[in-house]
Amino acid sequence: MMVQSRNLASRVWTARIFMILFLCLIMFPFLMIISVSFRSGNFATGSLIPDTPSLEHWYLAFGLPWEDADGIITEPPFPVMLWLWNSIKVAFMSTCIILLLSTTGAYAFARLKFKFKEHMLTAMMILQMFPAVLALVAIYSLFDKLGNYVPWLGLDHLGAVTVAYLGGLALHIWLIKGYFETIDNSLEEAAFIDGATPWQAFRYVLLPLSVPILAVVFILAFIGTVAEYPVASVLLQSMDNLTLAVGSRQYLNPQNYLWGDFAAAAVLSGLPISVIFLFCQRWIVGGLTAGGVKG
Amino acid sequence: MAEVKLINVSKSYDQGATWVLKNIDLNIADGEFAAFIGPSGCGKSTLLRMICGLEEISSGELFIGEETVNDWPPNERGVGMVFQSYALYPHMTVAENMGFGLRLAKADKATIHNRVQEAAGILQLEPLLERKPKAMSGGQRQRVAIGRSIVQQPRVFLFDEPLSNLDVALRVQMRQELSRLHRKLKTTSIYVTHDQVEAMTLADQIVVLSPLQEGSNSNLEQVGKPLELYHRPANLFVAGFIGSPKMNFFDGTIETSGEEVSSVKLGSGETIQVHVNTASASKGDPVVLGVRPQDALTEVNDGNSVTGKVAALERLGAEAYIYMQHDCIREHFTVRVEDCQRKEEGSTINIGFPAELCHLFNAQGLAFERTRVPKFD
Repeated sequence: MMVQSRNLASRVWTARIFMILFLCLIMFPFLMIISVSFRSGNFATGSLIPDTPSLEHWYLAFGLPWEDADGIITEPPFPVMLWLWNSIKVAFMSTCIILLLSTTGAYAFARLKFKFKEHMLTAMMILQMFPAVLALVAIYSLFDKLGNYVPWLGLDHLGAVTVAYLGGLALHIWLIKGYFETIDNSLEEAAFIDGATPWQAFRYVLLPLSVPILAVVFILAFIGTVAEYPVASVLLQSMDNLTLAVGSRQYLNPQNYLWGDFAAAAVLSGLPISVIFLFCQRWIVGGLTAGGVKG
Repeated sequence: MAEVKLINVSKSYDQGATWVLKNIDLNIADGEFAAFIGPSGCGKSTLLRMICGLEEISSGELFIGEETVNDWPPNERGVGMVFQSYALYPHMTVAENMGFGLRLAKADKATIHNRVQEAAGILQLEPLLERKPKAMSGGQRQRVAIGRSIVQQPRVFLFDEPLSNLDVALRVQMRQELSRLHRKLKTTSIYVTHDQVEAMTLADQIVVLSPLQEGSNSNLEQVGKPLELYHRPANLFVAGFIGSPKMNFFDGTIETSGEEVSSVKLGSGETIQVHVNTASASKGDPVVLGVRPQDALTEVNDGNSVTGKVAALERLGAEAYIYMQHDCIREHFTVRVEDCQRKEEGSTINIGFPAELCHLFNAQGLAFERTRVPKFD
């Protein structure tokens, strides 16, 4: 063990205290929202541990009627579970398609030779810098027109949102391309000599080695689409078709802020992301390419 | 099993802007073991990749067997390649690695199993078949890479510096194993290396390539059997490249030319007799005299010698290298001697050049024919 300088302990403790404070800073809003969701009534402010804990907001969020102490029955105002399901459907579908298109696209950019390759890569990067919000009007009128010919791609259809989300895949192409380029080209050359077509070399050699980056992209794309608000809020209109991110906004009317119900819905929206993350985590491992080549 | 024939094969990048290889003519007979050797940047790996089909051939024709295969993809050419970096599929076991090609070709399971077992038997890989590449040593990995080619039963084996990632002891062992394998399988093999020991010991035929010079017509320097290259180098490049330590070169002029014996006057005044045919040259023509470090003799007092100062001495036990200074030497003047007696730095000694062991090159670097070459087979 290396000889440590004498004030090491104090430095370690300073670092620890800094990290704990930083963690509190990050955790506080999250704890607040949980606290609000368990507080009776719709109050945004109050102590972190609710004075009068109640499950009313969670009952309503899960679509169950709530009977309070006075015997007054509140019917759930919004189909929160349906919104959650919509969110999951849209996010899952668009993430799967993003993954499919960005891996194959990244393979082309990383390994194949074609004209204007560099220009296309730069163009993708630059276009990605404009926020999608700026294109809301265009997106709206595009899908409005599209709906005349392909009904399930029209306004107020989840299909439209799914397709609109695919626009974000340029960033993922860059990410996966970077990973592909770390894998030695001779592996695929060996596969070609073994008689593989480019598709087989991709499918049997490159793809199994790229699982960690695919898991990362899957998580990133999923988070991005579940939490997306502007595009979904423009494309979706009827109550039953909203995603959770857009739907939760319904609780916050100018005259009537239902903070408690909103908080319960917000916590729920974090659920699918957590599940996907826990599921994908085991694919994020290092050392998959170990032993294949010696550089 | 097939012969490999190259006719005027050239390689350029950027539509002829840069040339790597020019006018390579080669004939590698069926069952022969050929080695491509040359310093880095001479295009030897590129040439191998062109034969394999991983690089396009810019011009010229490549035959494997009877057919022109210029436009054939690698797998149709019937070649097996062993990469310097092994290039094993890291997510597959040894058996899966070796059977991958057959699996793609949709061979039935029994065939795959038999062929893998057979190859594993040849390479003593049976106990490792279920391991992944990362759980194996460098030598084992390279054996698996060789096994993967054997399973495909190629017509030609291609080796791209397969031993350069291994340590010295393993390299010697693998070298012998490759030699044994070639005797057993008798498949045409092409081996790229920058290590002349590997080329000399393994190959039936050595192909020496040099980095392409501006304006030169080809960078194929010489093709021949190992000892032929050693004893009859066609030019200065081959003479300097084959043999270790490097041959010593002295600048001089022809004093007397002749068909059997000639004499050369060095710039420093010494006259050296050499057994080469210089009938084509005349007195005063500039030439380069070449003597291998192991052919030079110390402690001679007869005429055929030069006088130089000792610059440094390396004593290795069985042999010693004396590094000398001399006015007419190009690069280094090295003499290998078997006695390891101490010699004072700066002292002057006589180095004798046996006339029948000297090489002579003209101003263009081409060798004059030697007239008394020692016997070799």
